[in-house]
Amino acid sequence: MIEVYKKLSIKKGYQYLLLKIAAFLLLAFITDFISGSILRSFYFKQTSGWEYRTKYSIDGTRADVLIFGASRAQQQYNPLYFEERLHQSCYNVGRDGEPFFYYYAVLKAVLKRYTPKIIILDIENGVFKESQDSYDRMSILLPFYKSHPEMRSIIELRSPFEKLKLQSQIYPFNSMLFKIAIGNTEMNKKRNQDIKGYVELRRVLDEPIRTVDFLKNKYAIDSNKVNFYRSFIKDCKQANVKLYIVCSPYFIHAVGTDISMTIAKEIAGENNIDFVDFAKDEIFLNNSKLFDDTVHINVAGSKIFSNKLIDTMILKNKIF
Amino acid sequence: MIFNSFHFLFFFIIVTTLYFILPHKKRWLLLLLSSCYFYMAFVPIYILILGFTIVVDYFAAIFIENSAGKQRRLFLVGSLIANIGILCFFKYYNFINTNFSFLLHGFGLSNPIPYLSILLPIGLSFHTFQAMSYTIEVYRGKQKTERHFGIYALYVMFYPQLVAGPIERPQNLLHQFREKHTFDSDRVFEGLKIIIWGLFKKLVIADRLGIYVNGAYNNVAQQNGMTLLLATLFFSFQVYCDFSGYSDIAIGTARVMGFNLMTNFRRPVFAKTTGEFWKRWHISLSTWFKDYLYFPIGGSKVSVPRWYFNLMVVFLISGLWHGANWTYIIWGGINGFYLVFAIITKKYSDKFNSVTGINKLPRLYLFFQISITFLLISFSRIFFRARTVKDAVTIIKKILTFKGSVFNDGSAIIIYCFVAIFFLLTVELKKEFYKGSFTLSHHQNFWVRNSYYSFLIILIILLGVFDGGQFIYFQF
Repeated sequence: MIEVYKKLSIKKGYQYLLLKIAAFLLLAFITDFISGSILRSFYFKQTSGWEYRTKYSIDGTRADVLIFGASRAQQQYNPLYFEERLHQSCYNVGRDGEPFFYYYAVLKAVLKRYTPKIIILDIENGVFKESQDSYDRMSILLPFYKSHPEMRSIIELRSPFEKLKLQSQIYPFNSMLFKIAIGNTEMNKKRNQDIKGYVELRRVLDEPIRTVDFLKNKYAIDSNKVNFYRSFIKDCKQANVKLYIVCSPYFIHAVGTDISMTIAKEIAGENNIDFVDFAKDEIFLNNSKLFDDTVHINVAGSKIFSNKLIDTMILKNKIF
Repeated sequence: MIFNSFHFLFFFIIVTTLYFILPHKKRWLLLLLSSCYFYMAFVPIYILILGFTIVVDYFAAIFIENSAGKQRRLFLVGSLIANIGILCFFKYYNFINTNFSFLLHGFGLSNPIPYLSILLPIGLSFHTFQAMSYTIEVYRGKQKTERHFGIYALYVMFYPQLVAGPIERPQNLLHQFREKHTFDSDRVFEGLKIIIWGLFKKLVIADRLGIYVNGAYNNVAQQNGMTLLLATLFFSFQVYCDFSGYSDIAIGTARVMGFNLMTNFRRPVFAKTTGEFWKRWHISLSTWFKDYLYFPIGGSKVSVPRWYFNLMVVFLISGLWHGANWTYIIWGGINGFYLVFAIITKKYSDKFNSVTGINKLPRLYLFFQISITFLLISFSRIFFRARTVKDAVTIIKKILTFKGSVFNDGSAIIIYCFVAIFFLLTVELKKEFYKGSFTLSHHQNFWVRNSYYSFLIILIILLGVFDGGQFIYFQF
């Protein structure tokens, strides 16, 4: 070792450098630890808003019926209708813009705490599409990495160095500073109102129906997403949860079927899971006024859709 | 391998450690091999192109030195043709072919020349220009040939500045590979601090602004004038922080190992005229064009109309250097026009200043000059950022309506952007106008100084965009 040191062309001494680096790292470590702890404390203190809903979905809800999915779950399934007609408590854990990784991570956390009676999983076109953005979007799960070991393998898919990055106490709250600050204000409670996780859309679409040719719309499939979909089904079955997979309405005239949707249907069929498809439901296809945009129904559409789905669930299984 | 990745972090630590462990005689080999690895981490096969130009220029320089008269010139021309030929083929083939097709179409003819699916070798324009500067300097007799092939190859391939500059000159860089760099902890720390500031500019400012800018510029039809105006102003800061951030990391990385690379940016945000802007922005390229194009075609020591012509030529070629698209050429043209216009109207602007008396209020005058320059440069960058000329024209038309409310997707993106710009301007303002005053970054007290840098690291982790990806100038 000494020989190696001698070989180094050292002007001011390696000890001096190591001491400086150690002092610098100590400073950075202390700052990271203190700032990270403060952020963590305020993150979990939020009582409303997006981050609160995620936190409640993962750590809080004990509802009998849970609704999973992205924006088309969060903004279309009103839990009040489900509670009223099924006589079961219901919560919408859907989150706008989130890919399949998010749904499965939340499911794992939920099943660790309790077993819901029914899970509704909303599946949308392109759900299994390969995209780096899907992995990046998992950043909202980072605050739960430390406290939820069951989510770690999913979160670590974000990048090969995710585990290393998560040694920092601040990193899980990257880009969340203002969200956390706002989430702790009274103003936010008024701003982000939701109904048990459901967020109403109030705009009325006023445009003619357009045609989307899915036969021409080819894309690469992310095998991770497909595998998590299979695992989602498997975990529900193992936990004895009644699972409904739903494709909610679109205001598009579809030529052919989206590849992801075909895969989702096939896998559901293989596992004897009810797949309820509203994509070509005449009531919605003929009425743009039930939509907020071409892929999201509005509050009026939500009422019709939620009740139609409940009818289907009751009819199919005669469970209530 | 991009600078803002863990891959690079490990690479940097390993290479730097080995660099100081190895005896001086073997260091060039380590740097050359690591530079090859660095370059091959992008598209491995393109190292052959780099290798070809290195071999051509290495021998061309020797032939130039060993010959005289016309033969000497012939070797230089041969070397330049090889370099420019490769640049043109990979960068401009499809662009030229598209325009040729358009031209033929006008005469009712079809173009028989096929389009090629070519991926532009990363940093091609940078290392080609650096290689060309070597042969030109040898031809001019200002640089002796480098007979050690490995060291010459390293001059072209030195990994910190291989893919996005600074575009070095042989007089500044070549001799440094032969010098023995002793390990100096102060210098190592100085280099690391430059890297941290570069990372801050890239991850916290540039990539954050990029989210808003991309959202607006990639959906021009859906955006209103005010959103596009804000995105245009944000883009000015984004491109500055992206590129100067890269340069800082390059300079810092080299500094750690004892190499001094040239300064590439000198706070261009505070330029008082567009002419001054180019003395502060991408200095290594501006001086390259000045030394190897502007002066050889006569510079300003010609008739006035020819001088204007020379300026326009330099800026149009500079635009083309940035990319094979008419948007870049127009961008270059606008900046050339600014300079010509400033020269033509100088006596009128002087008169305006004395009549209004604005120049008697130095601070207000300075603010006025800086603001006008910033707006003019930002305007030209609409063409730099827009995907097509049509998009750029639409953006300008929409901005001129000054209508609509600024797009905000509900997140705190705009707040982040303004905070980031405020932080940048505060630091740069201090460096520009209050050099001798209180400083945190160079404070005498170790703990104060290092608290500042650990605070920067915390800000990078807390506010940095880690999914932002490549540096903008990599594409050139």
